[in-house]
Amino acid sequence: MFNQRRLKYIFLTFFILLAFVLIDIFQLQTSEFESTSQIIDQQNLDKFYITAPRGEIFDVNGEKIAETKLEPHLFINMRKITNQNSSDYKQVIQYNFPELTTKKINEIFESEDILHFVINLSSVEYEVRNNLITNFDAFLIIDLPIRSYIKNELFSHTLGYLGIPNQDEFNKFQNAFGNNEVGKNGLERYYEEYLSGIPGELIFSGSEIVDAKQPIPGNDLFLSIDSSTQLVTKESLQQGIDLANKSFESQNVIKRGAAVVLDIESGNIVSMVSLPDFDPNKFVSGISDFEYKQLDRDQAFNNFAIQGLYPPGSVFKVVAYWLALSENIFPQGLDNKDSKVDCEGSLSFGFDDGSQQVYNDWKPEGHGKVDLTNAIKQSCNVYFWDIALNIWRNFGNTKGESLLQEYSKELGFSEKTNIDLPFEKVGIIPDRDLFEEWKISRPGLVREEGWLGGDLMNLIIGQGAITTTPLQVANAYRTLLTGENLSPTLNINAEKITNNTINVSDEFISFLLKDLNTVTNKGGTAYVSFSILGTKANDIGGKTGTAQNAGDKNNTSWFVGVDSISNPKYIIATVVDEGGSGSAVAAPVSRRIIQHLLGYELTPVEFGEITE
Amino acid sequence: MINRKITILGPEGTNLYILLQFMLFNVISWFTLFSSIESIEFETSNILTRQIVFSLIGIIVFFLTTYLSIENLYNLINSLFLLSISVLLGLLFTAPILGVRRWYDLEPVGLPIFIQPSEFSKIILVLFIAKILSQNSFKLIAILGVLVNLFLIFIQPDLGTTMLLLIVTSLMFFVSDIKLRSAVLGFLLIFLSFFLFLEFNFLGDYQISRITDFFSGDDFSQTQSRLSISSGSLFGTYFTESQITEVFVPVQTTDFIFSLYARNFGFFGAILLLSLWILFFFRVNRIIKRTQIEFEKYLLSGLLILLGVQIFINLLTILGFIPLTGIAFPLLSLGGSSIFSTAIIFGLINRVFIENNIVV
Repeated sequence: MFNQRRLKYIFLTFFILLAFVLIDIFQLQTSEFESTSQIIDQQNLDKFYITAPRGEIFDVNGEKIAETKLEPHLFINMRKITNQNSSDYKQVIQYNFPELTTKKINEIFESEDILHFVINLSSVEYEVRNNLITNFDAFLIIDLPIRSYIKNELFSHTLGYLGIPNQDEFNKFQNAFGNNEVGKNGLERYYEEYLSGIPGELIFSGSEIVDAKQPIPGNDLFLSIDSSTQLVTKESLQQGIDLANKSFESQNVIKRGAAVVLDIESGNIVSMVSLPDFDPNKFVSGISDFEYKQLDRDQAFNNFAIQGLYPPGSVFKVVAYWLALSENIFPQGLDNKDSKVDCEGSLSFGFDDGSQQVYNDWKPEGHGKVDLTNAIKQSCNVYFWDIALNIWRNFGNTKGESLLQEYSKELGFSEKTNIDLPFEKVGIIPDRDLFEEWKISRPGLVREEGWLGGDLMNLIIGQGAITTTPLQVANAYRTLLTGENLSPTLNINAEKITNNTINVSDEFISFLLKDLNTVTNKGGTAYVSFSILGTKANDIGGKTGTAQNAGDKNNTSWFVGVDSISNPKYIIATVVDEGGSGSAVAAPVSRRIIQHLLGYELTPVEFGEITE
Repeated sequence: MINRKITILGPEGTNLYILLQFMLFNVISWFTLFSSIESIEFETSNILTRQIVFSLIGIIVFFLTTYLSIENLYNLINSLFLLSISVLLGLLFTAPILGVRRWYDLEPVGLPIFIQPSEFSKIILVLFIAKILSQNSFKLIAILGVLVNLFLIFIQPDLGTTMLLLIVTSLMFFVSDIKLRSAVLGFLLIFLSFFLFLEFNFLGDYQISRITDFFSGDDFSQTQSRLSISSGSLFGTYFTESQITEVFVPVQTTDFIFSLYARNFGFFGAILLLSLWILFFFRVNRIIKRTQIEFEKYLLSGLLILLGVQIFINLLTILGFIPLTGIAFPLLSLGGSSIFSTAIIFGLINRVFIENNIVV
């Protein structure tokens, strides 16, 4: 039988306990309040942070390219060092670690830290370590993560590197303070919060550790990059740069270049190389000032694939190609893509605004009768100038005059591609408004009259004030072949941003592919560079570009390739800064990358035909 | 009574008082946690966001429990008890986390949470004891079952929960009409074996250190929690710009949350919270008196004892009177398992109220 009376006793006991608890709390909060406040004020607990292991980074095949190893580090608890025992500790350190200089050891003992780092113990035998911490109270071994980049230079620009955080980074990344390291560039930067992990804590009250929190490792990152393709891309680009240096007299040593391989269907980046590069491991162990300055002077820290701003030259002609077919704007007097103009090597037109009057094609004798296909195939400027002329005649000085610029922006030019890397540059698509703005902000750069017809003539062949990044160009070609301007990404699990969509018909895409195909085949500007492939080149396409630069800089060498016309999988964009002709240098670089992508035998990068 | 109309708020007649009090306790917990974080972000790592999500799920659990009639529950108890024993047995085959086998890690199936089965087996144990007591004839096998249950929690090892359940079991037997002499004898016997186990070093090192730390009289977290409570003064620091530096208390948002609460809301806050619990106890006690069904009497008093003992063990730990136990303060501490199990307790009580036609 249930006994209500006994339950009452239990509740009574509860009441008595409750009264007891409340009295204790009351005393604590009233009569002891003053004394405890004093204790709290004097308490000053100190926190020592333990760096969390960063997440590791893998390529598309699961191969590790950045790893974090935990290594034992010897620390000394400075609060346990007294005048009496400090010489003992100095001796122990000197005896066990002769590689430490006396100066360094003195530095340790002069420090005001709670815990001071002594030495990495990973190469020290277990017995020695054990002996140190069991016999010497002030020694402490803490496992700290060491970052290493397994492929050294190969991924320098994509992975980035680590460094000691500055004030901005303390504010921006919440774990930066405790970890005392932060991604300075590349994926390490972009995914800092994701990779960093949460630092552990040791709480000191006086010299004793009173509480400890384990660090929580960061998350692993999986990339769409393929290490083998990356390696071939890098080798090919380097060969292209060497070739350019050898092949013609250049005032400047050619060092810089970039190449990107983009997966057409997914928009994932398969490889991304920028030269010159550097070894991110050097930042882990500490890089010398001299070495840093040298790398910096060579602009090795720039990822030219997303930060190099180059006039695109003829690779930009696909924008006008798309515009012509979409708007049905062809050279004066033509109404379809198959009608031909007679290219006599120059075009003269009486601009009444003070623009240049005669435009000379890169081929003085002209290309003969050219239709749109031939204009791409032979990179005929006259045909495109005719289109520009037509735009200018119909829309010049009206709202519609920025037609070409609008088409460019649809393809992502002068906009961020939103790749998952920091510090991406956007480049310039010039128009009347920009020139007006520059008249005020950058006087001297543009002429008094502002935007003229001649500027449009320049723009349509990718010259003049226009600048683009290699990734933008690759992504623009991808957009034309898919109708969707997606953010290209390295992280395979990244959320894709659709920048915008464009209207391209299947018919247009097959026209474009067919015409790109003519470029690498007989009569095309890149034919010589691809001829080594024999009939295998029949399915490959691309577009060459040779962009003139101001001053004494050589031309920028461009090539954008498609690995297959029947089944396009990859876009390959290659730039050799000051590399000269696109068909001669950048095209054979892309050719070698395509050889790898299609599983063909690799042949060295050899000089192609000089065209524009 | 069984054919109640089902509404969105559970079967007709959810007791508003119980529901309100459940939500009030949750909200108090949110306010307490709010003071310990810097910002509200909707991330799973943010403790306040977590707790709010747990609370909302808790309310669903509360209602789900209410759907189960006492009669059906009564018939389910034996199966539930067997299930609870097997789940606790299963823990023995898991990899230890932080040196103990106390949680199921649901990471492999894609959920970023740990489940602590002992939180739920507590309630099932109370149900089971209520059933065997209301049957008025003890079967040896039933008593053995209770002991196995305690033993399985003891070897996790989880000293705090074992102590809690030992006291709850003893008190539940105490309110039945068994002879005082045998009650005391049984109680002593079990306690004796408990300390014998201790003596034979059956426990992990860290638990020994918890106990020895306590006897050496300077457990850091308990010292700190007393300081934290003291800094709250009469009215707390929540509504005033605090002059006093914050006090570092390890695991303050979980087991030691009352020290944070008392700092924030002071002595009057402590009185308020504990008064709410007293009110709750009075309210439930009235039903214990009113209902004619033995099982319901045992069940309600068992659940009250479970809640009460948890609260006291928690308070006495925080004030440093007993060693660290790892017992959470119901509905105040951060943690999903604790909220869900307390939601079940409130849901069960609510169902008894409904079946006795007490709605407000």
